[in-house]
Amino acid sequence: MNEVILRTEHLTQRFGGLCAVHDANIQIHKNEIVGIIGPNGAGKSTLFNDITGMYVPTEGKVYFHDMDITGKKPYEITKLGMARTFQNIRLFPTMTVLENVMLGVHCKTRSNLIDVVLKTKRARQEEAEAQRIAEEILNITGLYDYRYNYATSLPYGLQRRLEFSRAMASSPEILLFDEPAAGMNEQETKDLGDFILKLKEMGYTVVLIEHDMKLVMSICEHIYVQDHGECIAYGTPEEVKSNPSVIEAYLGKEE
Amino acid sequence: MKRFLRGWAKNEKWVNLILLAIAVVYPLLFGRAYLINVGTLCLINVLVSLSLNVLTGYMGITGLGWAGFFGIGAYTAAILSTKLGWGFLATLLAGAVTTALCGILVGLPTLKLSGRYVAIVTMAFCEICRALETNMDWLTRGSRGIPNIPRISLFGFRFPKWMQYYAILFLVILTMFIIHRIINSRLGRGILAVKDDDIAASAMGVDPFRYKVMTFAIATAFAGLAGAFYAHYIGFIDPSNFTFDQSTIFISMTIMGGLGNLMGSVLGGISLTVLPEILRPLMDVRQIVYGVLLIIMMLVRPQGILGGFNLKHIRQQMSVRSGGEKHE
Repeated sequence: MNEVILRTEHLTQRFGGLCAVHDANIQIHKNEIVGIIGPNGAGKSTLFNDITGMYVPTEGKVYFHDMDITGKKPYEITKLGMARTFQNIRLFPTMTVLENVMLGVHCKTRSNLIDVVLKTKRARQEEAEAQRIAEEILNITGLYDYRYNYATSLPYGLQRRLEFSRAMASSPEILLFDEPAAGMNEQETKDLGDFILKLKEMGYTVVLIEHDMKLVMSICEHIYVQDHGECIAYGTPEEVKSNPSVIEAYLGKEE
Repeated sequence: MKRFLRGWAKNEKWVNLILLAIAVVYPLLFGRAYLINVGTLCLINVLVSLSLNVLTGYMGITGLGWAGFFGIGAYTAAILSTKLGWGFLATLLAGAVTTALCGILVGLPTLKLSGRYVAIVTMAFCEICRALETNMDWLTRGSRGIPNIPRISLFGFRFPKWMQYYAILFLVILTMFIIHRIINSRLGRGILAVKDDDIAASAMGVDPFRYKVMTFAIATAFAGLAGAFYAHYIGFIDPSNFTFDQSTIFISMTIMGGLGNLMGSVLGGISLTVLPEILRPLMDVRQIVYGVLLIIMMLVRPQGILGGFNLKHIRQQMSVRSGGEKHE
């Protein structure tokens, strides 16, 4: 197996009396597709938020390439090479599709106020480069024809795809998708699966939280199962499927 | 409306040139001192409205106490020129820099709050400024105000009225140019992203707090610039020029003209300066008419007359359509 690029150690997140994530120890290897599943309220999104810096974990550490990123701000973590999407789509409505993706390139550019006011060589070069990268990504994700439309004018499925495009634009090593298939029909979900497999081929590491079992079982190499903030199972799709505690979490105990 | 916008977007350069030509020719056509005075006041208000638009239109923070910052610029220029004898250009620059520093000072502790709370903070700040201006007698002469602020001059040459008009016209154009460049850059995208959704912006590598402070500094700098010019132009300032009422007029201009559109600020600044002048014969009824107009505006187009229009986007969308590429 490849090296571990993302891991958490004894990660715990409490909100007052509620323990949303308890002692999570996950390891993500380079270039694999990992699924995180579990019933609603199991703490999956909280885990994502802890990893990406949206929350500061109560206890425990997050390591990215052996670098301690616990408590770092989201924008710092994005710069290091980790990008995410959101469960409820968060696009920038007053910006076009192209601009949304160009914003993803933001953390790779350096022009300051003086550069942009005087339109120095650096500002012009970076702007052209950002546009080139954004258009390239839009070509991959098939949104190029919509590049000048407003982001939120797109149909739902394409808005999801735009969120992936924007995440890809920050040239991350690892992509974290929070329920990417939510609200998609069967065909769209299938396309999404193919798209994620393509991302793997392109060298990305993908972690996804997902409720669509068919999708998770068909594309993920490893799966973590969360329930009540605890990680109750880890393994390949087959192992997880036959794990009694997973069946219990989803279907209840047999009397 | 759509056709009008497309036509405008297509010929934006020409429209700008024509507007510029009108602005340049105006004092030549209407030589009366009163009309030049109104024109100059229009442009000062346009400059304030532009600065406020950076904060309110692009950053999404309603600046309720903008007269406070305008006043800091004015008082800085007035004090430096009357007490220390600084020249016009130096006081203009000092007005902008001092105001921006005050903006940063106010922004650093408060910009972690969400937009509407900052709006209240700016409102309170305006009151604090007025109180300080009234009570720091040794510096500001309190409510007696600062008289005899030197007229605008360059290298010992004192500008007549019509040249002051061109001076402020130049400042307005320079400001529009700078804001336009900033908004259409990576920094502008960052600003808009923070306005639209600061959590998503943060997840995409934009530090929302830094961007808010930067935008606040830029906006207040231009407000200070306008204030400094105003002090030299009017020649006498006292705290009653920079009250919450004045702030209300500034924010009305910006919102009515159009949020996030520089031409909106031009429209708002000019119309809300000219309107009270036109309504002058109506005397007391004036305020009522003025209020009713604003209410109608809020009901019909809350984002302002030109708010939310982005000519660049309209042009881009037209280019795709005429290119025959498929859509939807």
